[in-house]
Amino acid sequence: MNCTSTGRVYRYVWRGAATLAVGVVLGACATTAATPTNALTEAREAIFIAQESGARQYARAELADAQNYLAMAETAVVEEEMATAERMADRARVTAELATARTEFAKATQINREMEQAAKALREEMQRTGDEE
Amino acid sequence: MNTLTTIRARRSGVLPLLVLIPLVLSACATGPVSPQAAVEVRSKLTALQNEPELASRARVEIREAEEAVNLAEQPLSESDAELAEHRAYLADLRVEIARARATARLAEAQRPRLAQERDRARLAARTREANQAQSDADRARSEQAVSAADAEREARELQRQIDVLKAESTERGIVLTLGDVLFATNSTELHAGAGRNLDQLVDFLRQYPERTAVIEGHTDSTGTADYNRRLSLQRADSVRNYLAGRGIAGNRLATAGLGEDRPIADNSTANGRQQNRRVEIVITHEPELGSSG
Repeated sequence: MNCTSTGRVYRYVWRGAATLAVGVVLGACATTAATPTNALTEAREAIFIAQESGARQYARAELADAQNYLAMAETAVVEEEMATAERMADRARVTAELATARTEFAKATQINREMEQAAKALREEMQRTGDEE
Repeated sequence: MNTLTTIRARRSGVLPLLVLIPLVLSACATGPVSPQAAVEVRSKLTALQNEPELASRARVEIREAEEAVNLAEQPLSESDAELAEHRAYLADLRVEIARARATARLAEAQRPRLAQERDRARLAARTREANQAQSDADRARSEQAVSAADAEREARELQRQIDVLKAESTERGIVLTLGDVLFATNSTELHAGAGRNLDQLVDFLRQYPERTAVIEGHTDSTGTADYNRRLSLQRADSVRNYLAGRGIAGNRLATAGLGEDRPIADNSTANGRQQNRRVEIVITHEPELGSSG
């Protein structure tokens, strides 16, 4: 009950300082089993990794999805919908992993495409000089 | 249905999702559990597993996807529809991750071959350039060598022919001098034996068909100039007729009767007069070098 009232108090603060609020909430709710601390932490780490890998450039939609799920998870925490918070945090994490995977995929195929084009350009160049003969 | 909608919403961005989630949450709370989502994810996973090029490259991710799909396929009570949807959603993401990882690794695996192809193309281009330059140079050099050799061989052959004719190369052309032994005194008829000398000339003119010849008759100073001129022309014509009879085109042969006008020796001695009685055949030089080729 204490936890619930604490959550309500922070509800107003959240819009300005969501992360701080969640942290406080986590601390405040430590005694109840509800707050998905690990799931949230993992989600943030996964998003960080995705950003580091270049997802803003190569997997923009997936990264945005992950960030939105994280925001929803944080909202759910504030609203004390802890089951929802955990699910949204899970989605945020796995979606961020997808963003990373798709970034790696896009980079890898881009390199291959460039190599193919280099070879193709050389062959075409050769074809042209061959025709000139 | 709502479950499905939510999963698809992921692809079109998160905004519809934000709207849908609460709807799903409330709608599915009492709705029936749809196994359809899990079925669809299962078929996606199976499709990936059936691509050996990909499946072999993401075993860990595929195992994780497998576990997620297995979980999504667990039967749940209707009240847990939301959880079922959530599991199917995560399973779907896991399959997508496995596919992306596998495809990225496949691309990496193809890279050495691509690098090889690119390097081969690069090498071929360079080799071709080098060969081109080399062969251009070679061709120029060998053409030069061939034409030089040809010219030399032709010159040698011509000289040999001239030697056979006992002719000499002068500014006017190749001059073949036939002594008076061709004709009896005051006769315009060729001796029977004259043919052999003239036949060598025929061979020469056949071999060099672009050359023409001027046949000049000369006499010593014995007798009148008119007579000598007429005699010399008739003798030149006799030679011309002989050559024409051996197949040399008439338009290649001109005649001139120069009489006693151009002595090459002293007319006061018998020996000199003998030298002055002669027929000179002047064979033109080739009009243009190499035009015969």
